[in-house]
Amino acid sequence: MSNHAHAHEHGPILTPWPLVISIGILAMIPLAFIFKFSYHNSFAAILSLGIGAPLCIIGVIGWVREAIGGDELSQGLGFGAMGWFILAEALIFLPGFATYWVLRLSAESWPPPGSVDMPQLMPVIMTVVLVSSSLTIHKAEGLLEAGDVAGFRKWLAATMLLGLSFLLMSIYEWNHLFHLGFTIDVNVFSSSFFSLTGLHGSHVFVGLGIFLAIMIPAMSGKINHTFVRTGSLYWHFVDIIWFFVVSQLYFW
Amino acid sequence: MSVLKEWIFTTDHKKVGLLYLIGSMAAFAFAGFSALMMRAELSSIGPTITNNPGDYNVWLYFHGAAMILGFQIPALTGFLANYLVPLQIGAKDVAFPRINALSVWLFYMGLILALLTFVVPDPPDVMWTGYPPYSTITFANTALYTFTVLLLGFASILGGVNFLTTIAFMRAPGIGWNQLNMFTWCTFAAFILQLIFVPVLGTAVTLISLDKYLGTHFFDPSSGGDVLVYQNLFWFYSHPAVYVILLPFIGIVFDIVATFARNRIFNYKAAVYGGVGGILLLAGEVWIHHLYVTGMPDWIRVGQMVTTLLISIPVGLLFISLVGTLYKGSISFETPMLYALSVVFLMLIGGLTGIPLAIVSLTLHVSDTYYIPGHFHYVMAVAGTFAIFGGVYYLFPKFTGKMYNEFVGKLAFWITFVGVNVIFFPMMIVGVTEGMPRRYWDYAQFPGAEPYQYWMTVGAAIIGVGFLLVLFNWIHALFAGPKAGNNPWGSRSLEWTTTSPPLDHGNWEEVPKIEEGWGPYEYGTEKT
Repeated sequence: MSNHAHAHEHGPILTPWPLVISIGILAMIPLAFIFKFSYHNSFAAILSLGIGAPLCIIGVIGWVREAIGGDELSQGLGFGAMGWFILAEALIFLPGFATYWVLRLSAESWPPPGSVDMPQLMPVIMTVVLVSSSLTIHKAEGLLEAGDVAGFRKWLAATMLLGLSFLLMSIYEWNHLFHLGFTIDVNVFSSSFFSLTGLHGSHVFVGLGIFLAIMIPAMSGKINHTFVRTGSLYWHFVDIIWFFVVSQLYFW
Repeated sequence: MSVLKEWIFTTDHKKVGLLYLIGSMAAFAFAGFSALMMRAELSSIGPTITNNPGDYNVWLYFHGAAMILGFQIPALTGFLANYLVPLQIGAKDVAFPRINALSVWLFYMGLILALLTFVVPDPPDVMWTGYPPYSTITFANTALYTFTVLLLGFASILGGVNFLTTIAFMRAPGIGWNQLNMFTWCTFAAFILQLIFVPVLGTAVTLISLDKYLGTHFFDPSSGGDVLVYQNLFWFYSHPAVYVILLPFIGIVFDIVATFARNRIFNYKAAVYGGVGGILLLAGEVWIHHLYVTGMPDWIRVGQMVTTLLISIPVGLLFISLVGTLYKGSISFETPMLYALSVVFLMLIGGLTGIPLAIVSLTLHVSDTYYIPGHFHYVMAVAGTFAIFGGVYYLFPKFTGKMYNEFVGKLAFWITFVGVNVIFFPMMIVGVTEGMPRRYWDYAQFPGAEPYQYWMTVGAAIIGVGFLLVLFNWIHALFAGPKAGNNPWGSRSLEWTTTSPPLDHGNWEEVPKIEEGWGPYEYGTEKT
């Protein structure tokens, strides 16, 4: 591969961003959670979050700015690597579902006391929205391959809008259920429901973050095709997982 | 300042590997310290060095969690994999150098969380298993356990994505799958296991913190939860984790044995496709043997008893290959070779004592006794650790360019080797003869165990001396060792064709040319 020689000319990659992101993650999630829930110190938790979240954002921005030029040894390998990552992701969801299945199938009666009737219309709308977003990103990818950068940006923006509205609907849905008294600590069904929808929602959030990291450089014409294909693959995966979430939690 | 920058901003696989080595050795030191504390407490009946059983539980937690997640897995799949794999496949670096740096720093963040155990007022006391319902009702800090596992696990997953891509796509032109070093093959398999099973552990430990802090009911039997779900998820990861450790350590043992026997790998394809491949296939179907006493239905227990016993076949293939590699070899006994051969011996003891444990009717009698830690320390803990130390000695001239002192190396080896047998053999005996239960901080009901316990503590002290000597040898050699040369062992493997230490960026001046018929173990018939 010519890329080998190319990377050699650039010398070793020295980058602060992996360290910055690692410190950011440590402060943003574990330390903030431990301050809040183990030591009931909300101030320290917010402080930790306030340090960690910007570090993560700065780290990701710096990383993308460095890597989008694509002068790496690995140019083009990211797509296949995302396949391996998706295998791992799928196995994050599987034990959550398995736990839910075991608890549900071994329960004396279902739904357990304290449950409410699940809304039926909202999940259908959410499914339509998310599936559409998979189609729009596919369309965007096709336009990019054909060289239509303006069209690519338009359809990517449409995808992000659909993803965002999905998240907003999730928040509305949770809020609605909270008002009915169905919160995470009610029973084993509510535990499973909020854990799995929350886990899925966090993946939608990350997917939107990936698209944002593609969109902002794309505004000034910087587009890395491997980034786009890899981000799109991840998005399709998040979409597929939603079918499991919605069928198992709403319509079973 | 620029030296510091070169290290903390590095993406070079060799520097990342050495960062893993430093971090994992720190974990080893603290976890070893915890073990010494436990052994000191157990040396006599009654409170010995503490009046608080809680202290013992914290040591027990830290020893297990830090040894497995902080030392063995990062030393094997972090240090050795990072340092060796790109060199063995003739690559300039791993596929994703930045992600590699992210892995090592996430590992360090996990290490920081683990070490907070010694700082916080409520250190975790849930063993490395974190079983509910105890972990969800204890006053101790279960969240610290959860997030330690999550950070270290995330680092492993990123490592997996990186190394599977690297080994599949970054081999120098001319290196086929059948010309890979055993270590590279074993690393490939170990990372497949990591990718499949680590996420399961991640979800499991997350669920206990949800139960404890957010009030969910997954493992709360009074509300329809089920603690056995956790135990299944935990061992669904943690048994394959044994192979995540075993595969790379047996891989490095293969490379060391071939080098010091100056011989080809006997039956290479059977070892790779039968041995490594067989373990890969069976790894996920044996976890129930950790749960024989929990009231599993018989058809599950017997089924997994069969799969557990089947594991002997791929392990046996690896054994035959190892021993066959010695046959008609031109063997010399430098320190790395002593470690490698001792691993064969330790695995033999650990493996044979494991067979009765696979059998349900026998396990029921020794479950939760000292026989269990005796067995798994032989087969996994000590064998793995000795392989890691052998690997560090083997690569020492490569990554420092200096040679350690052979006499001190051998002396330290024999001291630690005696020490581990003084601990772990009596441990198995006292488990069977006295029924001495695991995890107890005191044992007034088992007075017959006291002499054994005393000698086990002596063994621990011997090991401590041995490892201090190892550390002294390395540090001394690092500053004052003689120059080692590029290939002090006369190995044919690709990592020894470059300078010691290899070029900072790119490893070689030119990508190595692979000739037709080349192989890492082609020693031919001449004596070198």
